[in-house]
Amino acid sequence: MNTAKDDCFVVKGKLALPYQYFAGKTGSRFIISLRDEHKIRGLKCEKCGKVFVPPRSTCDICFENIADKWVDVANTGTVTGFTIIRYEEPHQPVKPPYVLGLVKLDGADTPIAHIVKGVALSKMAVGLKVKAVFAKKTTNSIMDIDHFQVVGDKPKFELGYSYEELEVGMSASFTKTISETDVYLFAGISGDFNPMHLNEEFAKLTPFGTRIAHGALPQSLIAPVLGMKLPGLGTVIPEITVKFRKPTYFGDTITAVGEVVEKIEKKKWVRMELRWTNQKDELVAEGSCLAIPPAAFLKK
Amino acid sequence: MKKNRNVGIIGVGQSVYSSHREEVNQPEMIHEAVAEALAHAGMTIDDIDCIVHGNMELFEMVHQPDCWHSLGIGSVGKETLRVTTGGTTGATICATADYLVASGLHDVVLAVGFEKLQEGHTTGGITNMADPLWARQLQTGALTGMTAAAVIEEFGEERAKKASMKYRIIMDKHAMKNKKAHRRLGLEFDQADDLMVNSPALVGELRMIHMCSQSDGACAVIFASEEKAKQFRKNPAWIKDHITVHREESFGCFGDEPFVLSHRYAAEKLFARNGIKNPRKEIDMFEMYDPSSWWGLDWLREFLLFDGDEHLKMVENDEITIDGDFPINPSGGVTASNPIGATALVRVAEAALQIMGEAGEHQVPKTVNQALASGFGGTLWTVLFLLTREAP
Repeated sequence: MNTAKDDCFVVKGKLALPYQYFAGKTGSRFIISLRDEHKIRGLKCEKCGKVFVPPRSTCDICFENIADKWVDVANTGTVTGFTIIRYEEPHQPVKPPYVLGLVKLDGADTPIAHIVKGVALSKMAVGLKVKAVFAKKTTNSIMDIDHFQVVGDKPKFELGYSYEELEVGMSASFTKTISETDVYLFAGISGDFNPMHLNEEFAKLTPFGTRIAHGALPQSLIAPVLGMKLPGLGTVIPEITVKFRKPTYFGDTITAVGEVVEKIEKKKWVRMELRWTNQKDELVAEGSCLAIPPAAFLKK
Repeated sequence: MKKNRNVGIIGVGQSVYSSHREEVNQPEMIHEAVAEALAHAGMTIDDIDCIVHGNMELFEMVHQPDCWHSLGIGSVGKETLRVTTGGTTGATICATADYLVASGLHDVVLAVGFEKLQEGHTTGGITNMADPLWARQLQTGALTGMTAAAVIEEFGEERAKKASMKYRIIMDKHAMKNKKAHRRLGLEFDQADDLMVNSPALVGELRMIHMCSQSDGACAVIFASEEKAKQFRKNPAWIKDHITVHREESFGCFGDEPFVLSHRYAAEKLFARNGIKNPRKEIDMFEMYDPSSWWGLDWLREFLLFDGDEHLKMVENDEITIDGDFPINPSGGVTASNPIGATALVRVAEAALQIMGEAGEHQVPKTVNQALASGFGGTLWTVLFLLTREAP
């Protein structure tokens, strides 16, 4: 068969099909409630007890005319289904990616389709609680609800990486300049008023020739790394070992780095290498720790 | 046509026909017709086994409306088919329902046709029918003045125009008896001379007054097997036979060569196989799909297999009025109400009501033993139904 397309016309066309849709009394009343009162109403079939939102004049199950059986439903509801739209095309209401969800409002038996916002796409789930956010401008359509916003079950704190999320090679750091004030306050916290940290004249007699910070002061800078960055909030550190390599002088800027080097599958712990350096990239201290990352279930 | 078993019409429902049914959405409007048909048959939706749904493609710019119309039709949990064959859709729905029951696949089938012409753009939809390479850029939609020109050429301007206007005014007088009809103008015969000159011209001598309306409306008809039909109704209207004749998509494909119109071809075949030798005498009334009074007039000749001016005489001699010898469209016909996807279904429904004797104010005063109902669409397509009072 010869499938060559030379000299074959393609007739280009464009159809304009303008249309309007008569919403009817029932559909119009629903929109008017939305628009004027920010109230969502449904129609209830008294035979089967179902409340339909969006409203329908006939219960399709009982085939009863229910056009005047209006009931109020809440502006809050639960996501019963969703999909994430990732491709872009001109008919979409918002720019992708976005979530199109089915929301069963509290007091309704049927879900309504709408845009769901306020949740990371990876965290979008059936069962999330949502609340209607009404549009600033009316269009006399279902878009008088701008979208449904996820509420309630959002975690209060942003927990750190779970064991599953942690990977060997991940690292984080914290940097701070150590001042005389830091050293004096640390002396108060620890009760270590050793003159090598506080008395310059005494310090001149030591091998360092000047005051130095307490060894535990730069060491403590790993705490914000492990507890607040990697793994982060929710982490427990059952073991930490440190070797001190160089003193920290007043005015030194210390960077504490933690890096995941091993995942301990049996315990769901990680081993991390720790390093402290100063502004001259000199190694101030090094060590390692075990970290128990926040449990995955805490994050849901 | 060989039939496995008899099929009867046992329930008819119609919405009110109007130019704008803004107070109801599509499923709500359809529900009016379905609820009335169920009540007329003395049934509930549970008695329905299967639903056939149809309307024009593209007219409301909706896709697969049968799915969301389930709210009004009652098709939840039931087998549902969508049928769309242009203007003949309503009659094709009837043919489908008849096949489904006659075959034994279902005992009771609900046929539903609807249209909301004000929601869409009819000419846009119809133009899309034409072949994209040869004809689409040249289409003018549903209007044509060809028939008016042909009738005028054959019978002279005065006689042709008068007969066409008289046909139109008779249809309006019929519509005045039908409370559900869309256009009920209250025309009188002495307005004919004025209207045939002063009504706005559309194409050639086809004027606004001759042309059918654009209506919103729905019709529902319940078909049942003989056993079921007799269970629910003592006077079903029986489907004796029907025929479908669809032809090529271009009016001009035969050039100036004379050709047999699909109406005549359908009528010849249908009458022959049912032993009807003189349709004018043997048939008691006719619900014709008459999109304009020029077509209604001209097609009477085709359907009744006349060759001369007998059809004009029928109009001139008042034979086609509701109390005449051969009543045409006691409902007011298509020039009064035209919700296209339902229009051909309404023809069958109205013929059935006439046989049952339940057409109300527009019931013909004589017993209707045998009735014709036609559907029209496309580029001269025909579906022709023969209904009887006695079970075939």
